Amino acid sequence: MIRSTLFAIASLVATSAIADIPKVDVHKSIVRITTTAQEPDYRVPWNPGSISTGIGAGFVIDGNRILTNAHVVSNGRFMSVQRENDPRQYSGQVKFIAHDCDLAIVTISDPNFFKTMQPLHLGPLPTIQSGVDVYGYPIGGERLSVTQGIVSRIDFESYSHSGADSHLAVQIDAAINPGNSGGPVLQNGKVVGIAFQGYSGDVAQNVGFMIPTPVIQRFLADIASGHYNRYVDLSVTYENLTNASARRALGLPDDDTGVLVGSVESDACAAGKLQPGDVLLSIDGHRIISDQTVELDGENVDLAEIVERKLKGDKVKIGLLRNHQPMEIEIELEPNNSYLIQANVFDEYPRFVMFGGLVFQPLSKNLLEAFQTDDLRVRYFYNNFVNDEIYKDHPQVIILSNILPDPVNAYLAGFRYQIVDEINGHKIRTLADVANAFDQTSDFYTVKFIGANRPAVLQRTAVQEAKERIKENYGVRLERNLGEETLR
Amino acid sequence: MKFLLSCNLLALLALSALAAETPSPTPQATPAMETHPSGAPKEQLATELKGGSVLRVNSTNQSYDFFRPWSKKAPFNRRGLGAVIDGGEVLVTAELVWDSNFIELEKPETGERSSAKVAVIDYETNLALLKPTSQDFLKDLQPLDTDTQVRVGDHLSVVQLEANGTPVSTEALLTSAEVGHYVLDDYSYLLFKMSCPLQYRDNSFTLPIVQSRHLISMLLRYDPRSQTIEAISTPVIQHFLKEAEHQPYQGFPSFGLSFSPTRDPQFRHYEKLSDSEGGIYVDDVEPNAPAAQADIQTGDILLSIAGKAIDPDGDYDDELYGRLSITHLITTLSYSGQKVPVTLLRHGERKEVDVSLFNRPPQDYAIDPYMIGRPPRYLILGGLVFEELSRQYLREWGPAWQKEAPQRFVYFDHYQADLFPKPRKIVFLSQILPNNDTIGYPQLNYMAVERVNGQPIYRLEDLAKAIEKPINGFHKIEFDLDPKVIYLDAAQVEQNAAQLQKTYSLPGLRRF
Repeated sequence: MIRSTLFAIASLVATSAIADIPKVDVHKSIVRITTTAQEPDYRVPWNPGSISTGIGAGFVIDGNRILTNAHVVSNGRFMSVQRENDPRQYSGQVKFIAHDCDLAIVTISDPNFFKTMQPLHLGPLPTIQSGVDVYGYPIGGERLSVTQGIVSRIDFESYSHSGADSHLAVQIDAAINPGNSGGPVLQNGKVVGIAFQGYSGDVAQNVGFMIPTPVIQRFLADIASGHYNRYVDLSVTYENLTNASARRALGLPDDDTGVLVGSVESDACAAGKLQPGDVLLSIDGHRIISDQTVELDGENVDLAEIVERKLKGDKVKIGLLRNHQPMEIEIELEPNNSYLIQANVFDEYPRFVMFGGLVFQPLSKNLLEAFQTDDLRVRYFYNNFVNDEIYKDHPQVIILSNILPDPVNAYLAGFRYQIVDEINGHKIRTLADVANAFDQTSDFYTVKFIGANRPAVLQRTAVQEAKERIKENYGVRLERNLGEETLR
Repeated sequence: MKFLLSCNLLALLALSALAAETPSPTPQATPAMETHPSGAPKEQLATELKGGSVLRVNSTNQSYDFFRPWSKKAPFNRRGLGAVIDGGEVLVTAELVWDSNFIELEKPETGERSSAKVAVIDYETNLALLKPTSQDFLKDLQPLDTDTQVRVGDHLSVVQLEANGTPVSTEALLTSAEVGHYVLDDYSYLLFKMSCPLQYRDNSFTLPIVQSRHLISMLLRYDPRSQTIEAISTPVIQHFLKEAEHQPYQGFPSFGLSFSPTRDPQFRHYEKLSDSEGGIYVDDVEPNAPAAQADIQTGDILLSIAGKAIDPDGDYDDELYGRLSITHLITTLSYSGQKVPVTLLRHGERKEVDVSLFNRPPQDYAIDPYMIGRPPRYLILGGLVFEELSRQYLREWGPAWQKEAPQRFVYFDHYQADLFPKPRKIVFLSQILPNNDTIGYPQLNYMAVERVNGQPIYRLEDLAKAIEKPINGFHKIEFDLDPKVIYLDAAQVEQNAAQLQKTYSLPGLRRF
């Protein structure tokens, strides 16, 4: 108790002033997390899903909180947390979870749990070639394992948990295996990262990745509001201005400064502020170098890093040239939504509407992975959702994902995997529109699909007659989930 | 713990969306013929073909390289058999001789040879007529007849040649006749299926199929595992030969529409269709095609074509082959230039229209469905290689091109009637040949060009015209994908053009 208080004070006073930090006893900080998860099956969206158990690590930080990876606790139904050298198991609860940067905060309701625990403190971004220690429970072992590695590379990496986000990550040459996830990576007694992903053996060996402290600190700052707001994004594309002709065509001097805006997402925060063709010259006072980098703390980093460290509602100042006129604009940053179609979804039951044995679901990464459809239009809508601004007409792309065969839909098999355009003349933009359209009383329900003029027709009497039969035959627990029923 | 795995999402092409496939007529029993022990080759010397009704055809072909549109790929040989027919011509499959540089005919018994030229070629039905360059080459040969009809259940002979030139025939049973895919995607005609145990022999790329001295069919595909043949049917060959009598060759007609079945009783109630009539629902009408010109509209229910009633699956009753898709009625039993009467229902009212048939050539499409025997068009500007999108280009990705080729382009191709209703081409950047003009640009490819120097680009000619007027000395090229704009210094590009051509050994910087 006293020691831990002393520690907290020491770190408060010290931050980076004291070079020689006392050795920490990781055994008093690390925990082993066992999560029982239920993963929904998008092919049977009314089912609760298959149950599996996974093991990961976590560690105590200030405020009686346990920091771990989001993927260690995702889709969790029950979580037990163990300390080193303590036979007892404690029930844990997810307090905050950030799928876009694979981080989560877990709390333990038993107040005794934290009494003998020592919080770890966050350190800086480690330098290339420096050594680090990786702690965790690789391959599910009962006892704490430690391995050493060297910092090999610091760069933006894809975060595989969401599958659609890239953030700063540190590559180390220590093997990171299942069970290491969520474990702290220490240097000089401080946390410099959280082990979170690696390559499978046939791609590369002895390469592991950790989430560095700028990402962790941003997460902790974000949840300080009591809610996780996700990363913010300008939602624009920009291109290098390293070609000499391009620079002269735009009237730019030969000074390696500026990037060219290609497209501005019309439903995001830069819409109406930035325009295609703008030349971005500076961001928050940092000169933008023509290869899309800025100098930050003496190093050239991707210019996205400036926005990466900001929170929802923060502002960013951009200096630019528009039609050769210098301007300065300020943008209030917001999270982007449209890219989420390509991100894995966790912690919610699949959304769907079932009507006459026809199952309608919004297009998502989970849906595509479950059905593996090769339908060209579905793939196109998925891949070009952002570039072609498909979200304008279809904030949700509603697919006839499945047909539960029954006499009522005997001739409709050819419509599977088509994208819904209209039901009874009403444009369908979201799954809720589908539910509303089928709630209206009508003799016939006509479903029109994109690119097909012949509608699928369902007669109300036939649907009513089939309703209980289909529910019974296929074990359909509920006929729709519009997203009101969530897990946390 | 998650593992990073590269997971590229692949999109596949769903070929026929809703159009109902024709159910195949069931093979009929053939009591007249004696039965052979199964699997044993039913081969015999084809004495009736002695005297040279069949020739060896050796073709050296060289196709254009659509990735490097200024050059051709390595030449290769195809060896098949051709059937001598009336008029001093030799019938072969088009595939044997397409993109040919040199064709040689060889008399099997004497070994005498003559070079030959393609007189008529139809890529869609995969048929071609060859004419020998030495005038009297075919003089002493006996042509095969081409005016017989066969029925399902008939026994036919597949002709091959021994190494010494003796014709051998293998018995084949015609098991079914149905509309199916020939060699090019989207082109389907009446197909003969036969069961036949065929041996491998030289010159087997294509083989004539006969009944005594009557030419019945040409082999398209042989599956040695199931011992089945798919072959070009008699009506298609007869249509081709008749059409080939007149120049210019007009090709097989089509309606240019897609349809859906109307079998679903709920749909019939909704459309107020009586249960006694058949009919098909018109899903889409290709712009400028015969159906569109006859004012056939989306949503019309077609009840009959050329006096033949259409059932709810899109089949009619054929005199020779039973239930067949109306595709056969339109493309093969009718000819380009004819008017075909159609009865349809529109908003419950009966209408009669006449459809004037013609063949829509591949050049007429935004994305050419095939481009054979024609060089790809291109324009190179400052190392940027521009081409017009064609399915031939997409096919460069190999047999699985629908999965492997750039998915955006596969999508453009598949839905071109919807996406590009007006006549135009898709000009795209196929690659960049790195040079001093492009230094600093990333390796870019597969992006469609939208505008150049402010001018919209609908074909390569538009591009050629637009680059004559640079803006303040620069070419501004706008694409549909990031980076949306690329600039080139017009004077510098012109100055470097000769060097670029030399560096990459380009025969020319454009071909229209």
